[in-house]
Amino acid sequence: MGETEERERFSIDGKQPQEVSLPTSVEQVSEILRRAGERKFAVSPVGLGAFLHLGGIPRRYDVALCLERLQNIIDYQPTDMTVTVEAGMSLSQLQAVLGENGQWLPLDPPNPEQMTVGGLIATNLNGPSRLSQGTIRDFLIGLTVVRADGSVIKGGGRVVKNVAGYDLAKLYCGSFGTLGVIVDATFMIRPRPAAQTIFTLQFASVEQAMQTALHQINTDLQPFFLDLASFDPMNPANGQAGCHLIVGLAGIQEDVDYQRAHLLELGGGDEIQVPHVQEIEGDAAQNLSLTLRDFPVSGDAALRCKTSLLPAQIAEFCTRVGEEAALRGVRVEFLARAGNGIVYSRFLRPAEVPLEKLISLVDWLRILTKKMAGYMTVEGIDYRLKDRVDVWGHVGGAFPLMKKLKETLDPEELLNPGRFVGGI
Amino acid sequence: MDTSTIDRLRELVGEDGVVDNATALSTYDCDGYTLEKSTPDIVVLPHSTEEMVAVVQYLHQEKISFVPRGAGTGLSGGCLPIEAPVMIGTSRLNKIKHIDLTNRRIVAQSGVVNLWVSNAVKNEGLQYAPDPSSQQACTIGGNVAENSGGPHTLKYGVTTNHVLGLELVLPNGDVVTLGGAVEDVPGYDLRGITIGAEGTFGLVTEATLRLTRQPQAYRTFLAVYESVDDATETVSDIIAAGIVPAALEMMDTLIIQAVEEAFHVGFPTDAGAVLIIELDGLAAGLEPQTAQIQDICRHNSAREVRIAADDAERLALWKSRKRAFGAIGRLAPNYATQDGVVPRTKVPHILRAISGVAEKYQLRIANVFHAGDGNIHPILMYDERNPGEAERVVQAGQEILKACVDLGGSLTGEHGIGIEKREQMPLIFSPEDLLVMSDIRSVFNPDNRCNPHKIIPTPGSGCIDVRTPRRQVPL
Repeated sequence: MGETEERERFSIDGKQPQEVSLPTSVEQVSEILRRAGERKFAVSPVGLGAFLHLGGIPRRYDVALCLERLQNIIDYQPTDMTVTVEAGMSLSQLQAVLGENGQWLPLDPPNPEQMTVGGLIATNLNGPSRLSQGTIRDFLIGLTVVRADGSVIKGGGRVVKNVAGYDLAKLYCGSFGTLGVIVDATFMIRPRPAAQTIFTLQFASVEQAMQTALHQINTDLQPFFLDLASFDPMNPANGQAGCHLIVGLAGIQEDVDYQRAHLLELGGGDEIQVPHVQEIEGDAAQNLSLTLRDFPVSGDAALRCKTSLLPAQIAEFCTRVGEEAALRGVRVEFLARAGNGIVYSRFLRPAEVPLEKLISLVDWLRILTKKMAGYMTVEGIDYRLKDRVDVWGHVGGAFPLMKKLKETLDPEELLNPGRFVGGI
Repeated sequence: MDTSTIDRLRELVGEDGVVDNATALSTYDCDGYTLEKSTPDIVVLPHSTEEMVAVVQYLHQEKISFVPRGAGTGLSGGCLPIEAPVMIGTSRLNKIKHIDLTNRRIVAQSGVVNLWVSNAVKNEGLQYAPDPSSQQACTIGGNVAENSGGPHTLKYGVTTNHVLGLELVLPNGDVVTLGGAVEDVPGYDLRGITIGAEGTFGLVTEATLRLTRQPQAYRTFLAVYESVDDATETVSDIIAAGIVPAALEMMDTLIIQAVEEAFHVGFPTDAGAVLIIELDGLAAGLEPQTAQIQDICRHNSAREVRIAADDAERLALWKSRKRAFGAIGRLAPNYATQDGVVPRTKVPHILRAISGVAEKYQLRIANVFHAGDGNIHPILMYDERNPGEAERVVQAGQEILKACVDLGGSLTGEHGIGIEKREQMPLIFSPEDLLVMSDIRSVFNPDNRCNPHKIIPTPGSGCIDVRTPRRQVPL
């Protein structure tokens, strides 16, 4: 790839870096940062470049520090259930290696072929299985980071239980490349479930669907995932609205069989009739999993938001947003991680609605989210509008501490300036 | 400490919120780590976040250092007052403020005892998963400070995996909320770095905790072995079979004998090792896994594999495990518990290293530990009346930790660094690593007056001085 193409590949919100660095060792990463520091160059750590639409507009962007050539497994001990891997390896490659021993890193974020391990940590992305498995912070047990000044530090270790010193690994989960460049990571891993199946349940309303979801997770049903879709998840392209719960079951065969029977018997609890329950198998199940996993990045959308609420608030949120969107003449689709309180909203803008209208929609969503004591981030919007919406929104009273932390670890603001919360 | 300071603190928290007479203060001179002792000038027990804020603001203004303390069950001297005349206890912050069954969250003040949380939601089929062995006494605030584990961490994780939000009073008296009631709060995970910070970032006043569904069924095994090696091989084989038990605990001969004498649960006192293996989950899935576990145990020459017949038997087994440390009192007048971690496949190596150390220092060492996590807890027995024996215990403990590190492990799995292991931090962290930790501490605690002298070795002349000799152990 030529230099121009490389710079284009890592452009962020229309800004191209002056240089793309492709280090092959930790020493080189360190050297690049030291030199950048001398020249006061702003550095954005990047992986395969597939998620650069996330975050705010870079205030300065001189060097794209691409980790893709650091892609080796450093240490893998299947019987210890731990793996240490360089930050530039893609998640799908890592999963393939672990899969040879029937293991996996139990996270299913969108587009794992295009996501590096470092990017996974920095963005804290995840997928449907977070309900039963958790998020990156639950699996990251150690890491090596190159600080803005080029010094190499490590946090945690390679053992599954460790409280020696501050839990630095947590600090880098979701830190968006603003505190240092992650060069390797150690994860606790898990056996892959032996059996899996998926059910779809169709409802007349989001209230009924969520009532059922909340009822189900408080029974002996222990779903692997539990998603709510405002569209037909089996055929998302047809644009038909509807309300579905998608229940994933996983574990050893006997557990799955028991839960299947339990689910069919359970229905929606007290008085809710579930009109249509369907077990999805084979290729259809595979496609359905991908639809749920990739929703936050797939399809055309003029605006994508992620909202974090209490599970019991999801129905109200979806209803109110749906009504408001209709009033504004935009279409909205929801996919929620129903047991976690996470709602991904995808807004489609018909040609007659001006792009500008999205700004006031974001403002309206922010007010609603704040009223509900939740948090909302904009995960996709035309970059020409980005400087007019704060993609991260308010982060509460802890912000001064966050700012101080950034100033302490990267005093020259060399790492990803402007792209994180509050302009960090 | 001058009387005007004491009077002012008394004004802030009331008469019943102050402990300042010598006899009462002596109970605060150490935690579960008894090799070092130091008595605070005064213990302050605020009744509310507001009182806590008032106390901390006053101390900040007067530039007086302080230490936080929960129930004092810590095992690394984390709440030992060193150059800190004031101790702030959380025992009066003991209310569960909110239970949200639908969203499975509970808000508890930091002085709430761990077990109270699970008890509060027991009848609803829920539980708070982290269950340190001291759960009948230890507090949520202390659990947050130490990022406490327990026997069931293998499947359920530790404190940090179950805490959603914290209310923290910073060392200058400001109150911040870290994390929150919802799962994804944008920004740095300050909740994550505060958990396990051993009270050096401020005082936690309340925590929002995640509740988990109680398992539908349990299957608890006691597998008896002639040798420790066979027991550890069993642990590896269970993991290799893709089974993640809720708990995988091991006890060696010495501890088996002590426990049996104390609790009479029917442990074979001539066994080389026993494993307590617990599966939990759906009853349907436990059947086939039970057969698998039995096969693996027998394949590794288990002499006997018992299954707890009912809940009473299961609880008796756990009671004996969780109170194992107490049973040691029958074997020796004093003991020190170590806490180290190795990769789980290195458990046989570390056990051999421990018996080498026992021989070298002429000490009896018993082992009861979380084998599934590779988290060892050698118990070093001694008699403080014998001259030189306590010093030998300290040296032997350090040698065991060094062996853990050499095997790719860590200095502590769940007890913390505190004062006990501070000087050994350079065994696993470089000066740069330690510097970044003190930088992070300075974000929360810039004057280092909140729980000073913990975790990070004392800095000297602008850089971390790793050669500072360990302070003399007062005996």
